[in-house]
Amino acid sequence: MSAERPAGQGGPATTQERPAPEAPPGAAERSAAERRSAPGTRPAVTGRDVLRAAVGEQRRGVAVGALLGSGHQVGEALVPVLIGVVIDRAVAGTDAGALARWLVVLAVVYAALALSFRFGAWSGERAAVRADHDLRVALVRRVLEPGGGAEEGRLPGALANITTEDARRVGAVNMALMLGISALTGILVCSVALLRTSVPLGLVVLLGTPVLLWLGHLLSKPLESRSEAEQERAAHASAVAADLVSGLRVLKGIGGESAALDRYRATSRDSLRATLRATRAQAFQNGMVLALTGCLIAAVALLGGRLAAEGTISLGQLVAAVGLTLFLLGPLEVLASVNAEMAQGRASANRVAEVLATPYAVRAGGATLPRPVRGAVRLRGLRHGGLDGVDLDVEPGELLGVVATDPAHAAALLRCLGRHTDPEEGDVELDGVPLRELDPGELRTAVLVAEHDADLFEGTVRGNVAGAADGTGGASCTDGASGTGGPGADGSGAGGASGRPGVEIDAAMEAAGVTQDLGALPHGERTAVTERGQSLSGGQRQRVALARALAADRPVLVVHDPTTAVDAVTEARIATGIRHVRKGRTTVLVTTSPALLAVTDRVVLLDDGGRVADTAPHADLVRRHETYRAAVLA
Amino acid sequence: MSDHSADGGDGRGTARKANGMTDTHHGDGTTDTYEADTYGADGVADGRELLPTATAARTRAVVRRLLRPHRALAYGGFAAMVAATAVGLLVQPLLGRIVDVVAEGRSPDAITWPVVLLVVVALVQGGTTTLGLALVSQLGETVLARLREQFVDRALRLPLERVERAGAGDLTARVTGDVARVGEAVRTALPELARSFLAIGLTLVAMAALDWRFLVAALLAVPIQAYTARWYVRHAVPLYASQRIATGAQQQLLLDTISGAGTVRAFRLEEEHTARVTERSSAAVGLTMRGVGLVLRFYNQLHIAEFTGLAAVLGTGYVLVRDDAVSIGTATAAALYFHSLFTPVNAALVLLDDAQSATASLSRLIGVADEAPDDDASRDASPGERETADDTAPAVTASAVTHAYEPGRPVLHSVDLTIGAGERVALVGPTGAGKTTLAKLVAGIHEPDAGTVRLAPGTRTAPRPAGTLPVALVTQETHVFAGPLADDLRLARPDADGAALRAALDTVGALDWAEALPDGLDTVVGEGGHRLTPAQVQQLALARLVLADPPVAVLDEATAEAGSTGARALERAAARAVEGRAALVVAHRLTQAATADRVVVMDGGRIVQDGTHDALRAADGPYAELWAAWSGSRAVPGASDDTTGTTAADVPGPRGTP
Repeated sequence: MSAERPAGQGGPATTQERPAPEAPPGAAERSAAERRSAPGTRPAVTGRDVLRAAVGEQRRGVAVGALLGSGHQVGEALVPVLIGVVIDRAVAGTDAGALARWLVVLAVVYAALALSFRFGAWSGERAAVRADHDLRVALVRRVLEPGGGAEEGRLPGALANITTEDARRVGAVNMALMLGISALTGILVCSVALLRTSVPLGLVVLLGTPVLLWLGHLLSKPLESRSEAEQERAAHASAVAADLVSGLRVLKGIGGESAALDRYRATSRDSLRATLRATRAQAFQNGMVLALTGCLIAAVALLGGRLAAEGTISLGQLVAAVGLTLFLLGPLEVLASVNAEMAQGRASANRVAEVLATPYAVRAGGATLPRPVRGAVRLRGLRHGGLDGVDLDVEPGELLGVVATDPAHAAALLRCLGRHTDPEEGDVELDGVPLRELDPGELRTAVLVAEHDADLFEGTVRGNVAGAADGTGGASCTDGASGTGGPGADGSGAGGASGRPGVEIDAAMEAAGVTQDLGALPHGERTAVTERGQSLSGGQRQRVALARALAADRPVLVVHDPTTAVDAVTEARIATGIRHVRKGRTTVLVTTSPALLAVTDRVVLLDDGGRVADTAPHADLVRRHETYRAAVLA
Repeated sequence: MSDHSADGGDGRGTARKANGMTDTHHGDGTTDTYEADTYGADGVADGRELLPTATAARTRAVVRRLLRPHRALAYGGFAAMVAATAVGLLVQPLLGRIVDVVAEGRSPDAITWPVVLLVVVALVQGGTTTLGLALVSQLGETVLARLREQFVDRALRLPLERVERAGAGDLTARVTGDVARVGEAVRTALPELARSFLAIGLTLVAMAALDWRFLVAALLAVPIQAYTARWYVRHAVPLYASQRIATGAQQQLLLDTISGAGTVRAFRLEEEHTARVTERSSAAVGLTMRGVGLVLRFYNQLHIAEFTGLAAVLGTGYVLVRDDAVSIGTATAAALYFHSLFTPVNAALVLLDDAQSATASLSRLIGVADEAPDDDASRDASPGERETADDTAPAVTASAVTHAYEPGRPVLHSVDLTIGAGERVALVGPTGAGKTTLAKLVAGIHEPDAGTVRLAPGTRTAPRPAGTLPVALVTQETHVFAGPLADDLRLARPDADGAALRAALDTVGALDWAEALPDGLDTVVGEGGHRLTPAQVQQLALARLVLADPPVAVLDEATAEAGSTGARALERAAARAVEGRAALVVAHRLTQAATADRVVVMDGGRIVQDGTHDALRAADGPYAELWAAWSGSRAVPGASDDTTGTTAADVPGPRGTP
C-alpha cells in the first residue's frame, strides 16, 4: 500500500529535502521569500503542485475508474433505450421471441453496468484515500522536521484539520475526476443516441437540459449564500453549546448555569430563525427544479409524440427519448457537483501547499559536533526576545541554575538553547561550535531542552519515559501505539536491554519522583497516558515529563520549571534526584524554585532588561542580591 | 415522473454515499475523538458510568411529546407531500396516453391535451413540493431547536459528580457530535426520506391501479432489496463503529503529535511519530476501503433487484397486452413507473443508514434531556440569605464526613471541619491526602457518603434565592468562555454593569491588561478569540468569583499552574478575591498557608493537624516538616528564622493591603 512508499519520491507533495547543508551561516536571517526562491533550498510548493502530485501518483486508479465509470454511464443510458425497444418490438408486436432476446440483452447490460460501477468506483475511491493518506504523512513529516517552522502562527487544531480535512478534499479530487469523466462520457453517448433518433428532438433535449440546470443554478445562488449564513449560525449555536459544556465545571463553580442557559437559548433561537429562512429557500428551489423538469418532459413528449405520430420516429424511440431526457439530468448534475468538489479541492490544496512550503525556522549548517560531546555551552552577546546581550559560560558537567525575573527572558533563552530559533544577534556555542552551523536534528541528540509545558504522548507512563531514552533512532516507544490502549510498555525495556550506557529508566523515574506516585496509579507504570497526559494530575504529569527528560540522558539538559505543581517535600527530593542523576553532565535548571536552586553549583540571575545581573552560588545570591531574593523567595 | 432518472440518482448516490463514508472516516474529528475516547478503544467505558441513553420506546414517546404542540404543522406538511407525490404520479399515465395516441395512429393534435396536462402537473407538483418541504423542514427544525435547548438545559444542571463518573468526553460528544448528527438528519435525511417513502408507496399504488399484476411483478424486487438492506446494516454497523474508533484514534494522535511537535523534535522522536501516524492512517485507509467495498456490493445487489423487477414488469406488460388486458400505453406507464422507482428506493436504502445513526444519537440526546432535573438540588442549595447579624456562626460545618469514589476505598475518613464566617482556612498535605475531595464536598460537587456538610445558617437543601450563590469553587481547571470578555464575566452575574466588571477585574489585578486588550472588555476571548496567558485565565476565574460574590469560597490549587513567578501575583489576587468570605484554600505553596487565619493539615484522608500557622510551625508534626522543607530552601542562610516570617508577611494577609 501507499503507506510503504518511500515518501521522498512523490514530487513536490512530499518534503524530504532538508535545507542545503552548504548554506552559509546567517542564512536564517534572510526573508522567507528569499529562502523559498534561493537555489538549493526547498522548491516552492504551490497548490497546483500538490493537486498535480495527488492525481499524478494515482493516475492509474483514476484512469481505470474513469474507464469503468464511463461503461457504467453508457449502461445506464441504455436502460431506457432498451425499455423503449422492448415496448416497441416485443410488447407492441406481441413477439415472445423478441421479448426473450431483448430481456437477455437487458440482463447483459445490467451485469456490465453493475460490475463496471462496482470496480470503477472502487478504483476511484482507492485513488482518493491513498492520495489523502500520502498527503497526511507528508504533512506530518513536514511539521516534525527538525528545522521546524510549520506550526508557527497556526493553532494545533487548525493544523490537524489541514492534515485530515484538507488532505481528504485534495484526495477526493481523484474521485471527482473519475466521476466527471464518466459523466461526460454518459452525456456524449446520450447525445449521440438522441441525435440519431431525431435531430430536432435531440437538439431540444441537449439544449433544454443545460438551460434547465442553469436556471436551477440561478435559483440556488441566493440559496447558497443563505445556506452559508445558516451553517455559520448553526455552527455557532453548536459551538456555544460545546463551549459551555466544556467549561461546565468552571460554570458550576460560580453558579453561572442560568446565565449560560439564557445565552444558549438566545443563540439557539437565532440559529433557528436563520435555518428556517434557508430551508424555505431550499424548498422553493427544489419545487422549481421539479416544475422545470416536468415542463421539459412535456416539451419532449410534445415534439417526440408528434414525430412518432407522423411516423418519423418509432414508438420505442419516443419512449427512449423521454427516458434519455431524464437520464441526462443525472450526469449533468454530477458535473456540477464535480465542479464544486474540484473548487474545494483546489482551495484545500493551497492550504496544504502553504504548510508544506513553510520556511524552516532554523537551517542546518555544515558543521558537525565533535564526539563525544563535552557539554560546554557558551552564550556570546545573545540578543533575542528581550534578552539583551547575555554572556554566559556553562562548564561541562556543571549544574547551573538560571533565574529570570521576566518569564519572557526565560522563554527566549530556552528557544535559543534548543535552537527552535536562531538569536537575533550573538551566538550560542556547544563545545566551541556555533549552534547555527549545526543541523538542528543533530544538535538535539546532544542538547535537550525540556519545556515547562512539554506534552506527554499516548502510551503508558513507562513508555513515555522510555521512549525518550532511545529517541535518537529507534521506535521504542510505540507501545500502545496500536491504539487499543492495552498495557504493553515492553518496548520500554529496550533502552536498558540494549546495554546502552546511561541512566536507567528506573533511576530517572525514581529521581523525578514518579516511582513514589506509581502506587496511586491504577496500573502503576503501565497506566495508560491519554489525551496528552490529561488522565494524570498536573503534578504527576510534570514528574513523568521530568523523568522522560532525565531518561533521555543527553550530554546537555536544560529543564524549565519542572516542579511547579509538586509539594514542598517531594520537590526537595526531586532536586536531590536531579543532581544525582545528572552527575557529570551539563544541566541547566531554569526556575525560580529555591528548592531546586539550592542544589545547583551556581546560579545566574537574568535581570536588568535581559542581561546577566549576577552569578554566584544560590546561598550567596540570596544573601547579597535583593532582586534575587524577591524573585526566588516568597 | 420523478425529478431525475435512476442513473443520475444512482451515480450521485454512490458518490455521496462513498463520500459520506469518507466523511465518517475523516470528518468532524473532534466529535470522533471524543467518541473514541468516551466509548473506549476497547469498547468499554473503562469502568465509567456513561450518561443515560433513552430506550427506543422512551425516545418515541419524547419525540411524540415534542411534536404535539406542532400537530397542525405535521399534518399540513404530510398532506402537502402526499399531494405533491400523487400529482407527480400522473406523469407516467399521461406519457402512456401519448404512446397510445401514437400506437392507435390518431391525429398528432390529440397529443396536445396530455401535454398541457403534463405542464399543469409539473407546476402543481412544484408548488406542492415547495409547500410540503418547507412545512416538514420547519417542523423538524423547530422540534430540533427545542430538543437541543432542553438538552443543554439538563446538561448544565447535571450534577458534576454524574458528569465526572461518565467522563467529561461523554457529555461533550453528545453536545457536539450527536446534536450535529441529528441536525444533519433533520435537515437532509428527513425530507428526502419522507419524499422517497411517499414516492415508493404511492408509485406502487399507482402501478396496482394500472393493473394489480404490475404490482406483483414490481414486488419481485422487494425480497432482494430487503435481504440486501439487512445484510448491509449487519455488516455496516460494526464496520462503521470500528471506523469511528480508528478515525478518533488517528485524530487524537495527529493532534497530540502536532501540538507536541516541539517535544517530538526535542526528544528526536520524529521518525517514530511519523511511523505511528502512518500506521494509524493506513489502518483508517484499510477500514475506509472495506466500507467502500461494502457499499459497492450493496449497490451491486440493488442493481440485481432493479433488473429483476424491470424484467418482470416488462414481461407482465407483454402478457397483459397480448391478452388485451391493458393498452400498450399502460404497459409503458408501468415500465416507466418502475424505472422511476430506482431513485427513491436507492435514496431510502442509503438514508436508512443515516437515519439509524441519527436515531442512536437522538436516544443519547433524549437520555440526558429527559433526565429529571431535580438531582441538582444540592448545587442549587443555599444558606438562605447571608446572615450578617450572627457573625459567630460557622459558615461551613462538615461533620463526620466520609467519602469514597470506589466502594471500599474511602478517601476521607470521618472528617470534621468548621470554617467561620470570613475565615480563611488553608488546606495542606501531601498528594493524595484527600484535600481536593474535601474541597469538593464543601463546594457541594460531591455528596458525602456519610456525615453532613452544612452552610450557615440553613442547610444546603434550602431553595436558593435568585441571584445568590452559597459557595463558589475555583480550581486549577480553567476555561475561558468564547465571546467578549465582558460576557464571560457576566456569566457569574448577568446584571453586572461595566463598572462592576471593572471593579471585579481591579480586585484581582486584571484590569490593566484587560483594558489593554485590543477592544478592551469587548475583546473576543476563548476558543478562536484572543488568547490569554494561563495566569490571566486564572485571574479571570477569580474575577468571576468576585462577581458571583458568595459568602463561601473554595479555591483548589487555583494558583498552581501559573509557574513560579506568576504564582505570587495570583496568590495576591486570590487573597483579595476571598476577602470577607469564608474561604477554604487548597495549596501546595505554603505562602498561602502562612497568611491564612488557620491551617488544616490532611494526610491519608484524615485531618491530622488544625491550628494557626505559628502554632503548627512550633509544634512537632507534619506541618512543621512541610514548612521546614518549604522554608528551608527559601531561608536566607545565616539569617534568623524571623526572615522567613518577614518574607511570608510580604504577601498580603486575608485582610491585608499590599
